[in-house]
Amino acid sequence: MKDASRSPFVLRLGHLYPDQLNLYGDRGNILTLQRRCRMRGIELRVIGLGIGDALAPDEYDMLFIGGGQDKEQAPVAQDLYEIKGIGLWAAIEDDMPVLAVCGGYQLLAHYYRPANGPDMRGLGVFDAWTIHKGARVPRCIGDIAISWNGSTLVGFENHGGRTYLGTAKPLGRVLKGHGNNSEDHTEGAVYRNAFGTYLHGSLLPKNPHFADHLIELALRRSYGLTEEEIRSEDFAARFVPVPSEQVAMTAEHAFPEPVRSLSGIKELGRTREEASILPRLDDTLEWQAHAAMLERLGLHAEAVAALRHL
Amino acid sequence: MPKHKPSEAGEARRRRKSRARATVSTRKRPQGSLRAGLAVLGGRAAGALSRRLHLGGGTTIAGVIAQGLYPDIVGHLAKQLQHGSVLVTGTNGKTTTSGFIAAILSNAGLRVWRNREGSNLMRGLAGALIIRAHPNGKLKRGGQAISIFEVDEAVVPQVVQVAPPRVAIFNNLFRDQLDRYGEVDTVASRWQEAIRSLPESSTLVLNADDPAIAYLGESFSGRKLYFGIDDPSLDLPAQGVDAERHQTIDTRTCPHCGGEYAYEMRFYSHMGHYACPHCGYKRPEPDVRAMKVSHEGFDQLRISVTATEPLGELVVPLPGIYNVYNALASITAARALDVPWEPIVKGIEQFKPAFGRGELIQAGERTIRLLLAKNPTGFNEVLRTLFSGENKRHAMIVLNDNIADGKDISWIWDVDFERVTGHLLSLTVAGTRAFDLALRLKYAGVDPQQMSIVPSTNMRAVKSLAGNVHTKAQAIHAMSNGTGKLSRATTSTKEESSPANQAFGIPSALDVALSQTPEGETLFIIPTYTGLLEVRRELERRGLTPHYWEEKGP
Repeated sequence: MKDASRSPFVLRLGHLYPDQLNLYGDRGNILTLQRRCRMRGIELRVIGLGIGDALAPDEYDMLFIGGGQDKEQAPVAQDLYEIKGIGLWAAIEDDMPVLAVCGGYQLLAHYYRPANGPDMRGLGVFDAWTIHKGARVPRCIGDIAISWNGSTLVGFENHGGRTYLGTAKPLGRVLKGHGNNSEDHTEGAVYRNAFGTYLHGSLLPKNPHFADHLIELALRRSYGLTEEEIRSEDFAARFVPVPSEQVAMTAEHAFPEPVRSLSGIKELGRTREEASILPRLDDTLEWQAHAAMLERLGLHAEAVAALRHL
Repeated sequence: MPKHKPSEAGEARRRRKSRARATVSTRKRPQGSLRAGLAVLGGRAAGALSRRLHLGGGTTIAGVIAQGLYPDIVGHLAKQLQHGSVLVTGTNGKTTTSGFIAAILSNAGLRVWRNREGSNLMRGLAGALIIRAHPNGKLKRGGQAISIFEVDEAVVPQVVQVAPPRVAIFNNLFRDQLDRYGEVDTVASRWQEAIRSLPESSTLVLNADDPAIAYLGESFSGRKLYFGIDDPSLDLPAQGVDAERHQTIDTRTCPHCGGEYAYEMRFYSHMGHYACPHCGYKRPEPDVRAMKVSHEGFDQLRISVTATEPLGELVVPLPGIYNVYNALASITAARALDVPWEPIVKGIEQFKPAFGRGELIQAGERTIRLLLAKNPTGFNEVLRTLFSGENKRHAMIVLNDNIADGKDISWIWDVDFERVTGHLLSLTVAGTRAFDLALRLKYAGVDPQQMSIVPSTNMRAVKSLAGNVHTKAQAIHAMSNGTGKLSRATTSTKEESSPANQAFGIPSALDVALSQTPEGETLFIIPTYTGLLEVRRELERRGLTPHYWEEKGP
């Protein structure tokens, strides 16, 4: 645990296989975490972890793993199992927040069984497995919305394999779309602070509450924040946006006021993320995009609820 | 570029039927002619009816009907082409490359037929052929023509089978509509199969600078001609392009050993001079190369071309390095057909940009320029062309997620929108996914307040919240403006909220974008595929462009 002094927060994000697993706009997830941290004066350092690189769990505060082409998934699976497996397990058991999307999600379950050919061994973080039922069974493709934590998550899914959960908890329930397997209405999997999901599109830009959830988990864990500390008068002062080139150019109006007390946030009449320790950002566009997707899926009540975030 | 992208399943079903019946029809020739005649008549009647009812150009429906009446109609008619056919495919640049070739071959004195009025699926080819056929199932003018078939990536194997081309051009392969085509590797292996079934007499024209395309040459034992760029000044590092800047790279490993390519020069994405440091596999030496590429204003590029001997210089009347590849592909194809240099130069220099590929439209005192962008690489190259140096632009971007665009829009996060910041005079964001695009631009550093967001429809949820969304949205803005005044004091009414929040649809988006473009200036419209169709339809409604199916072919 780091020294919880007045120094600004720093988080280190390990991005696994950025060159191999980058198929579905995964860059959007990284950009989102980067920006949402920077706007609050949290420095997010992104470190790429390629094939052959070791994963030392104490060098990171959160991890991200995306999806890729089948051809590129095999060497990644081998590397994940042989080189990074132990470090990743240790990190997850120690409650490090991990986001695994699509192929990355499949690799964190027990195995991936292709239509033909041998099984691809996964890490078994999630008690779940994936079966590809052959070219005759259509892929799960399309917009998707799921319920999550009293709210919704929206995205796009495109996967041939069907994932079945053993004892693993799902990330959410499918409101519209396929989810894990198009059969049991589950989507994704959760183990401690590791989240597996098929949602891309990219996932985090349109789901700012989920992005903030990950950031908050990382902050709380890495800085060992206690409730007294969070409630203390000067806690909010630790989120001082550091104007850096890109954000500063354009987003001055969007900077939250650094010293806004939690009670101030409550005054906005927020329902779900009241408990967030992070200063609020202007997420108008984020929630409009989120609501627009819910509407397209015919989920009007949910869309209204999403717009109430504004 | 497909004019209409219908259900793949339906097309596949028809293809299977067509193959099954093709074997029967070759044995019974007369019956084939009869059915072909029927197909020609039926298809053309349907096309005429469709035009009459103003449903559209009618070439696609004509093709559908003709194929229904005689599934092997394409094979039947294509066999009669006296000068054979040229197949053009690739992720980007099919329409422009076909246009260049058509212009070159007409200049060389050939009669050129194209499927440009219809779609680039089998039905489009059928439609294009039957409008040039007699009711007796024979091509007009005794088939004294060469046909240029612009073919969708997924349909290449079927076209090669029913109408083996004289020249087949594979221009490039990038990620595009992953939900429709599957992964890049899937497309590449389908193309390999198609190439294996090509007759030895065909000539393969391949882009040497695209490793996925160059590798296709290994599947073919007939004549292969490669083209490529040899100008070191176009190398990204040499141009001072930040190495950190994101580039979408869709092919990065050697097909022989899986080693990662090393680049001596890289022009964009994975295009360049590559070699595998592991096994030594490298870019083949091009047979036709652009030695020097220089700008002639915003619009044009001057290239000097060398084959075994220097051929000369010519001006490509379009911007962007990708158009150098399109020009080189057409030059190489023309040389495969033994066309001399002079008609090549004339053809390319006189070329008029096709539908949405950089065409200029005069809208009163303002100029509109349409630049189709439908996948990350295409988008990046359009942005690079528009937003470089000190240029500042008025722009409108349209993002749709209809089937023809691809339902999955995650690729916008792979596009280098960071490039536009600081280069915008005004920006209008429209389409069915306007909010997603606006969000992407916000993360690229564009101030949301400087964007006019015009979604295709209003949300029901917004209506049910009855205006208090605007109030709250404004409240947040006010709050974060640093004014210190607390939001709840803001008593903003609906009228005060920005007009962009109340406009919907492409016509309104055009109005907003044009109103922000002063007289005498140019509005650059960058739409996805169906966005282009919508913009085009609206411009036509305003009397600003000709109907594209009425354009006279060469």
